Amino acid sequence: MSLLQSLMGFAVEYHARAELVAEQRGWSRTIALAADDTGETAGARVDDGRIVELYDDRRPSDVTIRSDAATLREILELKRSANEPYLFGELTVQGSEADFLRLDYITGCLCPR
Amino acid sequence: VPAIRRLHLVAASCGTAVATICAVGLAQLERLAPGGWAAAAVLAGALPCWLLARVFARLCRTVPSGAGPLAYLSRAFGRRAGLLLAAPYFACTLLLGGAEALVIGWLLQRTLGLPTAAGAVLFLVGTWALCRAGLRVGYRLQTAATLLLLGGLGAVALATLFHHGWPEAPPPTPLGFAAAAVQSLFLFMGFELVTTQVEVASPEAVGEALHGSVLILALFYGLLALALGHLRGCDILPQLALAQQAGPAGVAILVGLSLLASFTSFNGALLGLGRFVAALGRDGLLPRRLGRIDGRTLVPRAALDALLVITLAAAALIGHFLQPLLFGSALVAGALYAACAAASRRPPFREVLHD
Repeated sequence: MSLLQSLMGFAVEYHARAELVAEQRGWSRTIALAADDTGETAGARVDDGRIVELYDDRRPSDVTIRSDAATLREILELKRSANEPYLFGELTVQGSEADFLRLDYITGCLCPR
Repeated sequence: VPAIRRLHLVAASCGTAVATICAVGLAQLERLAPGGWAAAAVLAGALPCWLLARVFARLCRTVPSGAGPLAYLSRAFGRRAGLLLAAPYFACTLLLGGAEALVIGWLLQRTLGLPTAAGAVLFLVGTWALCRAGLRVGYRLQTAATLLLLGGLGAVALATLFHHGWPEAPPPTPLGFAAAAVQSLFLFMGFELVTTQVEVASPEAVGEALHGSVLILALFYGLLALALGHLRGCDILPQLALAQQAGPAGVAILVGLSLLASFTSFNGALLGLGRFVAALGRDGLLPRRLGRIDGRTLVPRAALDALLVITLAAAALIGHFLQPLLFGSALVAGALYAACAAASRRPPFREVLHD
């Protein structure tokens, strides 16, 4: 499964949680994912808390999340949390801490393992 | 990536290292190496920190992670070893939070007559409540607080030296000087945490801030140590004696700046540790309810509550063990720094070293 397909699955799970989407109202960002080992990229544009566009090309972004492809896919497929590889240096973020905290909160709600 | 001004990064690094308890550490240094020798011990402690600044610059360039030392150690030695190596440092940070509150309690007791316990609890609970409400100290406040504290105390120290001249004392024993040099590491503890800003600043800017902050801290503590040399280490709150030279206004300014410096320092530590505890809770390494994050403030409230209880307990118990705690913290910081230096020689950091 490609990164973009995993991201599409994540978007479906996210939009299925109306209360979670409502909580993110007012949040608009472009988020890029980059797999260091395969060079694969994917991204999402969030507008007022809703994911309005998914893409697999390279674009300027507010937040860039880097890890290996397997870790990124596992997070998007809600098999593991984002914070755990982040703490151990296997996932890095470029962008504001507040945006990563929000992304971590969303993945945490969707994957309350 | 938003660019953070270099001044903010240097201030963040110095602001994390400088807390009210550092004056207690300097007084302890004076007892080990009196007079101008304490300043020499500070410079001896600054030298490894200067070399470490280079190590940390390389670590954060290779793994630009906001998780800092835990991320570097885990990537170099594996997760379990990374956790084991970083855990004592985190524990020390918590204990020092309690100790910082105690020192604030003493400061308020000596200046306002407030009972020590009340002052310490007020400081801890107040900082915790603001963290819990989602308040993070911004770069501007951190920079202003750091500049005021360093500038204010530096000016008083210079005035003291101008009035009393160079402090003179017989040289300490080699062992006493070595102990003072090791103890001085405590004063720099936390300077390396500016690497966690690499998510919003370039690794080059973080590297410059690391070197700049070591230089500023060495000059600041060295100057303060010289000024305190006249007090002969007889007061556990030597900054108060220094400020009294500037009259009641000087004391009032000192108390205000100390509270601000302690707040900015403890706010960052509490939020950083809270995030760490919450992550461990969500992964089942700590009770899972500690992993809960508030959706509105994005703050791990249960983790912050647990940290408050621990720091309150530390503040209540630490009084008699303050001096061993400061020395122990210097040793723990030294061990973490040595581990990070070793990590920089292992993959994935070794490849960058060879580039």
